[in-house]
Amino acid sequence: MLIIDACAVCKRVPTGEGELTLLDKVDLKLSPSEALAIVGPSGSGKSTLLGVLAGLDSATEGTVSLLGQPLHELDEDGRAAVRAGAVGFVFQSFQLLPGLSALENVMLPLELANLPDAKSRARHQLVEVGLESRLNHLPAQLSGGEQQRVAVARAFVATPKVLFADEPTGNLDRATGDKIVDLMFRLRAEHNTALVLVTHDQTLAGRCDRVLSMQDGKLT
Amino acid sequence: MSQATAHLLKRDFGLAFRQLRREFRLSEYMVLIFALVLSVAAVTSVGFFANRVEGAMAAQAATLIAADATVSAPTPIKQTVLDRALADELNTAAVVEFPSVVLTEDGETSLVSVKAVGAQYPLRGEVKLSAELYGPERIATTAPPSGTVWIDPRLAGALQVATGDSLSLGDSEVEISALVAFEPDRSADVFQMAPRLMMNVDDLASSGLLGEGSRAKYRLLVAGAKDSVDSFTGWVNDTDDPSLRLQTIEQGRPEVQSALVNARRFLGLAAAVAVLLSAAAVSLAARQIAERDMNTGSLMRTFGASARTVVRVVVIRLVIIAFMATLIGSAIGFIAQFGLSALLGQWFSAELPPPTLTPLIGGLSCAVLALAGFCLPSVIRAVDTPVLRVLRRDLPMAKPSTVVALACALAALGVLLIWLTRDWKLGLLLLLGMLIVMAVLIVISRALVALSVRVKSNYLRRGLESLRRRPESVSLQIAAFSVGLLAILLLTIVRNDVLGAWQKQVPDDAPNFFLVNIQPQEVESVQQFLTDRGVSSNALYPMIRARLESINDVAVADIEFDNGHSERFAQRDYNLSYLAEERQDNRLIEGDWWSGDVQKTYFSVEEDFASDLNLEIGDALQFRIADKVVVGEVKNLREVQWESFAVNFFVVGTPFGLSDKPSSFVSSVYVPGNQGEFVRDMVSEFGGVTVLEIGALLERVSGIIDRAALAVQYVFLFTLVAGVLVLWASVLASRRERFREAAILRTLGASRQYLASSTTREFALIGLLAGLIASTVAAIIAWLIIEHVMELPYEFNGWLWLVGVLAGVAGVLIAGKLATRPVLRQLPIAVLQSQV
Repeated sequence: MLIIDACAVCKRVPTGEGELTLLDKVDLKLSPSEALAIVGPSGSGKSTLLGVLAGLDSATEGTVSLLGQPLHELDEDGRAAVRAGAVGFVFQSFQLLPGLSALENVMLPLELANLPDAKSRARHQLVEVGLESRLNHLPAQLSGGEQQRVAVARAFVATPKVLFADEPTGNLDRATGDKIVDLMFRLRAEHNTALVLVTHDQTLAGRCDRVLSMQDGKLT
Repeated sequence: MSQATAHLLKRDFGLAFRQLRREFRLSEYMVLIFALVLSVAAVTSVGFFANRVEGAMAAQAATLIAADATVSAPTPIKQTVLDRALADELNTAAVVEFPSVVLTEDGETSLVSVKAVGAQYPLRGEVKLSAELYGPERIATTAPPSGTVWIDPRLAGALQVATGDSLSLGDSEVEISALVAFEPDRSADVFQMAPRLMMNVDDLASSGLLGEGSRAKYRLLVAGAKDSVDSFTGWVNDTDDPSLRLQTIEQGRPEVQSALVNARRFLGLAAAVAVLLSAAAVSLAARQIAERDMNTGSLMRTFGASARTVVRVVVIRLVIIAFMATLIGSAIGFIAQFGLSALLGQWFSAELPPPTLTPLIGGLSCAVLALAGFCLPSVIRAVDTPVLRVLRRDLPMAKPSTVVALACALAALGVLLIWLTRDWKLGLLLLLGMLIVMAVLIVISRALVALSVRVKSNYLRRGLESLRRRPESVSLQIAAFSVGLLAILLLTIVRNDVLGAWQKQVPDDAPNFFLVNIQPQEVESVQQFLTDRGVSSNALYPMIRARLESINDVAVADIEFDNGHSERFAQRDYNLSYLAEERQDNRLIEGDWWSGDVQKTYFSVEEDFASDLNLEIGDALQFRIADKVVVGEVKNLREVQWESFAVNFFVVGTPFGLSDKPSSFVSSVYVPGNQGEFVRDMVSEFGGVTVLEIGALLERVSGIIDRAALAVQYVFLFTLVAGVLVLWASVLASRRERFREAAILRTLGASRQYLASSTTREFALIGLLAGLIASTVAAIIAWLIIEHVMELPYEFNGWLWLVGVLAGVAGVLIAGKLATRPVLRQLPIAVLQSQV
């Protein structure tokens, strides 16, 4: 079964000057364990495509199946249910909840998916990413690199089938960014997780099995 | 509840609790919780106090009337009533109450409220006595022995007398045998002027205190088996004798009930203003919380949470906050009610029992309503924020519909106000009034802000700059802070100026004593007494106790009056008088006076009385005087100058109709020079005449108004704190902008001192404007009330502006500096890296 199967996906939004096409008849397939990089200039539609593929947004036209579920036929809650426990995310701006500790942030996807042993699994995952001494720290008490490690631990804690990463090194310096990428790829290999990576960074994209370029909402 | 639902709830509770545990430290949550705590504290302080009074009333239901039922009348209770009570095998006790004056051996005099009681008194409850002030108490087993009296400790203090001393009371000398520490059926009338003196009813005749037509209240107390009491009360009702008033335990004490309702209403109004301002702070904090929740909600939904889960977590968090605020607020309210009890408790009962936990329900309801009306509409929108915001922060956040938010807020406020005032009409009227006051204050604030920003001052430039950039927020801050300050300043004026203005209005030679209970046979000798001492008298007027039975043949009880006030007015006992010639100090405004020898019964009615009872010329009035009925026609309407302190009457009749009825005489006199000697001589010579000193009455009224205003002012302190919270909340709303500005300025080399002085000038300006508005509006309202409602001269006081502006500047400066402290302490780099 394909992890992602997207056919003729279009995304158009109304603007003051008529409709703006963000995605234009995009076809995309992702096999289990496959790592796919989407590269392209700013405003080319990379993040929009990632959002539609992950079910964070709906397509205007076309069909998208994620983990065998037809996202285009589901409402917001239905799409969330598909993601629960099966999809991981790593964002450029970390997106940790400021009121929760590192451990609690990592427990969140497990709890929302009603998976057992949330605390011990989260602790184990944080140890995996080298943050055993930072379990009870709040995001504001962590460095940028540490915050992204927490985000990576959170992304993998539920052993997802697919990870969506949006510019995961965009807010980090080169050295820290490299470490995060190494960590992400190591865990991906260990968990056999498929990856959709949106990035500007050609070197980073080069570590994926396949690289697709986007220009003006089209895959080239 | 299914296991799966329980599991979900447990999970969501855990999520909510975990988020909240740390969010409590965030300023917006602190504002939210403080605002709710304040609302709950304001509401529960009034609630706990009222609850204690109600508790006292419930616990003492029977002892409050010292019997199972009482029958009262303005004349001695008829033998038939006593016979019936005895036939029903009831225990009985006679009580007669009236005002009088006592004279000490040293020549000191004092007005007293005499209560003559029979041996069986009280039939329910106990009279507690003590031998000395605050000495050990003992329970009285019978009435005061003949020839002795028990007196109020207040009287002992005022006259410097103790047990064993003698007093002149009417024609008799009596010995003080004890002080009354507690009296079960003590009147709860706030305006009970005189301290208690209790004597044996058997001594009444020899004291010469009461004559025909004397103003006294006669009561027969009865107690016994329930069937017997029911049989007796049924019989009294069936006798249909309008001069008899029956009171049972179930009816309680209407005057206590009424005083409690009024206290609840006024204090509730003060609490309501605090709740309104707190609600504004809740609303401002809710916007910040909603913004945070939208990010949290988007992220939770990204990880697979359903919309319901997000809503459940939000609602659970609010419920936890409501419970916490209720607990803390109620604790503060509980402590604050001691202040109210100290100020007002003595009006209701000597000892108030501890409160029950019922006011907690009110506190929780207040917190829940404030959250539901002012917070929920904003935060619930967390679920509507696009999930894609986790990727694209530029996407708009969901905003609550203005109509929905306003409707929720108004509904919540309406319910709160109706509940606080216990009157839906008054509640809605208040809601409208408050909204208008707030709108007016905001408009004035905006106008002042607009004017201020035109000021060209180098010193104030940085402060003015902030006003210019945030006019809406600044106007709200000024309006919110000035509401609390305005209320407190206005009440201070009422406390200090109203009575002063009234007293100043009284002419120097206005009567300073009322002489009451002069018997017809004493009229000539009293007039001679006054002439001998060169005392100018306003003449002696006959006074006849009467009750209005019907208007135009329709029983008063069946008439629907415009309001409760008119109804109570119509049903109370009156003092009628009769006059042959028209008085020069009254002015006829409609109709004609009668000729002195007219052989018909006519009535002359005071204009306000006529207006309250909808009376017109030609209407037929029927009065009951003792066991006789007098019917007459309204001949004219009069205007009376009540403030002249001359003796006046609502209804005056022709001598033909009233001169043969039992009456006493009354007069008001101006006594120059040694007033003590006058009172002593008067009391010695005319034991039954009661001398009321007008100055003392005014002082007592002034004391009561002062305490009432102080109690309301006390509750308004919550309002002032709420104003500070609104200020804090609105500073928080601009916090991000302030952080960024401060970071940029500091990066460019500005010192902390520079930033601190900018905020000082900004908040000092806001405080100045708030103080100016509050003082000016308070002065205008006071002027309107005093000059136009009370028709007294009002003098504008400069101190009002000084105090108002100083209080405004100090309050806003402290609150503003506290709210912006984190801005000054933040490192610029953290702000520029968007970690704040």
